[in-house]
Amino acid sequence: MNVYEPFRAGLPPMRAYLRSLWSRRAFISEFSRSQLREQNFGSVFGQLWLILNPLLLSGVYFLLIYIIGGSSDSSRFAHLTSSLFLFYLISNCLTGGVKSITAGGRLILNTAFPRIMLPLSAGVVALFRFIPTLAVIFVIRSIVGLTYSWQMLWAIPILAIALLLGFGLAILISCINVYFRDITSFLPYMVRTLLYLSPVLYEAKTLPERFQKLEAANPIYHLLDSWSQVMVYAQAPSLSSMLQALAWALGILIFGSYFFLARERDFAVRL
Amino acid sequence: MISLSDSSLDAHGIHHEHPKNGIAVSITHVGLTYTTSIEKRPTLKKRLTSLGRGRKYTRVVKALNDVSLDVHYGTVLGVIGSNGAGKSSLMRVISGIVPPSQGRVEVYGSVSTLLALGVGFNPSLTGRANVYLGGLAAGMTRAQIDRQFDEIADFSELGDAIDVPMRTYSSGMFARLAFSVAATVKPDILIVDEALSTGDAKFKEKSLNRIKELRTDDRALILVSHAMATIADVCNEVVWLHKGAVMMRGEPTATIKAYQDFMQVRKSAASDEDV
Ligand SMILES: Nc1ncnc2c1ncn2[C@@H]1O[C@H](COP(=O)(O)OP(=O)(O)OP(=O)(O)O)[C@@H](O)[C@H]1O
Ligand SMILES: [Mg+2]
Repeated sequence: MNVYEPFRAGLPPMRAYLRSLWSRRAFISEFSRSQLREQNFGSVFGQLWLILNPLLLSGVYFLLIYIIGGSSDSSRFAHLTSSLFLFYLISNCLTGGVKSITAGGRLILNTAFPRIMLPLSAGVVALFRFIPTLAVIFVIRSIVGLTYSWQMLWAIPILAIALLLGFGLAILISCINVYFRDITSFLPYMVRTLLYLSPVLYEAKTLPERFQKLEAANPIYHLLDSWSQVMVYAQAPSLSSMLQALAWALGILIFGSYFFLARERDFAVRL
Repeated sequence: MISLSDSSLDAHGIHHEHPKNGIAVSITHVGLTYTTSIEKRPTLKKRLTSLGRGRKYTRVVKALNDVSLDVHYGTVLGVIGSNGAGKSSLMRVISGIVPPSQGRVEVYGSVSTLLALGVGFNPSLTGRANVYLGGLAAGMTRAQIDRQFDEIADFSELGDAIDVPMRTYSSGMFARLAFSVAATVKPDILIVDEALSTGDAKFKEKSLNRIKELRTDDRALILVSHAMATIADVCNEVVWLHKGAVMMRGEPTATIKAYQDFMQVRKSAASDEDV
């Protein structure tokens, strides 16, 4: 027997929720794959764009570094591309996630399922788009002649943290967008600002001391700093950076999920 | 499009037997309120200009108002009423898509819903992809959908069109696919909203026959339609909703007649099929 009663603020029964989420995991993979296919559907290069996009992007930034920076410092270029690609993973979670609920209106109004599947799928799409860029990073590293070491395995926990953060952000922003649609218009500027505040176009260590303190308030500062440490210099990241990055990721994921789950039964009557 | 609630299926996905006249759905004092912003999107400017004056830019619609209704196994319940009467909203509440704003709904069995708008939620994908996505979202496994897909495709008679993006479908083709999915899944409680009336004569007859086949003692059917002739033909009970409340409930011909008298439509060819 199923009982449906009025929506009250608060979490749904979590065990049943997680079970029904787990039983629908195939939906998440199928949905994200169909979204990826659709994004490049009908274009001449098709799925090749997944690898062409990051290549072109790094080409453009190579020009930027070469012309404006006036130097072809190899580690700077490697830092720029690898940080930029990780940044794109996060920002794709945001831009893909923001409309995931409001655009899923028809599905939400006509099928009963855990709504969190929609922003999660947006996160998976961002991950699928990130994976080919990882290969580009390694190609560039080899071309500019950076060394490899076992310390680079730190990339795995860093990526895990980045994913936690990305899912958390997608969940949070998709829910905010149901109640405050303006967020969609603000988002491009927010992402731009975040890019300039983060150690992507510059390296963290070149920042003046007082800015470095303020950057504790930037959720992706320590994440990107650790990533660059590992991917460019092939060194272990500092423990405190990793812990701060993890704290931000978990904080946003937990807060975002609570915010979302407490409201999701209200979505259908607010689209 | 389909929603199979997990609880009434046991570990092997086998439906439990339901006794005739056992309760399938019990609805008590249910109300449903939609909140939509008038400006379509709550934008910052509207928020700012309305901040000081305490005016709300939202439209609150009471789609259902104190509805109480029992549906028993073995019944075919027709739901009629004018546009905006709350029929689709009631179906959404029964299938657990939207929680009621007041009251309580108890559902004993697995539900498959076919709310006409639900099928093909992503029109740029093919019919096949939409069937899979809809089924997966409703909690079916890929293997379950694989097993039923051919039957669905056959019944819909869409042929090659099943592999064409759904934005190219005509509304009748949409409805065919929607109905085929719902009628193939064979749930305990089948809800068909609108999809009966859009097909051509041949498909209409075919789907009516399918409905009659599905009319067994251990199943409950709920049909929402504006086609009075169809309702009178297959239902053994009819509910008439008006402005979110139950106006009348009972024997099909009497209820339909009361509804038609109320709506002041003469019995004409048009009223039989599309009131
Ligand atoms: N998603 C929604 N958001 C806001 N209001 C809605 C929504 N869906 C329905 N309504 C409102 O609820 C009321 C009942 O709508 P509903 O779709 O249940 O009517 P219906 O009986 O199915 O009509 P029809 O015969 O045209 O299908 C209408 O006034 C409609 O405007
Ligand atoms: Mg309707």
